[in-house]
Amino acid sequence: MILIQVILVTGFILFLWRLLTNSNSYQVRALTKIIAIIFALTAIIAIIFPETTNSLAEFLGVKRGADLLLYLLALVFIFFVLNTYIANKKLQNKIVLLSRKIAIIEANNKNKSRK
Amino acid sequence: MSKTLNQDAFLIVPLYNEAAVVEDVLKNMKTKFANIVCVDDGSKDDSAAIATGCGVMVVRHPINMGQGAAIQTGIEYALQYDDAKYFVTIDSDGQHSIEEAQEMLNYLKKNNLDIVLGSRFKGQAKNISLTKKIFLWTAAKFTRLTTRVNISDAHNGLRVFNRNFAENLNIQLHDFSHASEIIHRIGEGNYKYSEYPVTITYTDYSKAKGQPMLNSVNILFDLLFNRLSK
Repeated sequence: MILIQVILVTGFILFLWRLLTNSNSYQVRALTKIIAIIFALTAIIAIIFPETTNSLAEFLGVKRGADLLLYLLALVFIFFVLNTYIANKKLQNKIVLLSRKIAIIEANNKNKSRK
Repeated sequence: MSKTLNQDAFLIVPLYNEAAVVEDVLKNMKTKFANIVCVDDGSKDDSAAIATGCGVMVVRHPINMGQGAAIQTGIEYALQYDDAKYFVTIDSDGQHSIEEAQEMLNYLKKNNLDIVLGSRFKGQAKNISLTKKIFLWTAAKFTRLTTRVNISDAHNGLRVFNRNFAENLNIQLHDFSHASEIIHRIGEGNYKYSEYPVTITYTDYSKAKGQPMLNSVNILFDLLFNRLSK
């Protein structure tokens, strides 16, 4: 297996792991930040020295730097989608709990005024 | 209405856009049960107003949140009453028979069970299509395998359970996945359960409103996700 395959497969395994554990522990949050920082630094280097993406791509077993960027973008995107999904579920739970409280309080008030 | 009817039991009726039938259904329920909690799940039609007019307790969700959420709301509302010893969940579209709900309640009391689940395969299913039959059988088979709870019908809205079960239920899956979640809870909590044969009447009305079978994919995903994220 060439290097890029190892990296991408590892990335998607991490994706599945994140999907199944859905942990929001400080480790996961810290890891997310570290990855984000590395990503940003790499992006800056790639912007200043565009040729480096080509040599990095070649080193990793990809033909062109542009292809490498596309692969990494796909990986980042799928993580983004997942994180948004998890955050949405959590938000939905909070809304349900809040709305339920409101519904019960309202119903109790109505019953009191009727009595 | 008679005040002596099943004072110790509370009917939990999730209600969503059933204005066409809800009045008849609720009036029929009132002939057997004194305590009816109707949870309107943010209906867009007049369902809530009609239910209020029927003289039952109505709890209104400010927004639509799903049937599972509505049932949990109804349970929490009923739990406020100390005389709520038994809980009956029943659909608001008239597909269940109130006489059978009464029989299931008697059965639960007599055998000192925690929960009794309605099963259309132990009873009769009127006008059921073959595809729906196969689908429900597969769903039940899958539930049996994953929970070791031996049931023939995993998606029946007619259930009777006691206060202990109600207090510990806490439905987390807000949509139709709650049916499977309840079965999972039975397995986890080692509750005493039984199935009871019931008749489901599939009218054209209920067929048109029933959940699409493709939704089982969503249910499966919800269950996996919810279990692993604990």
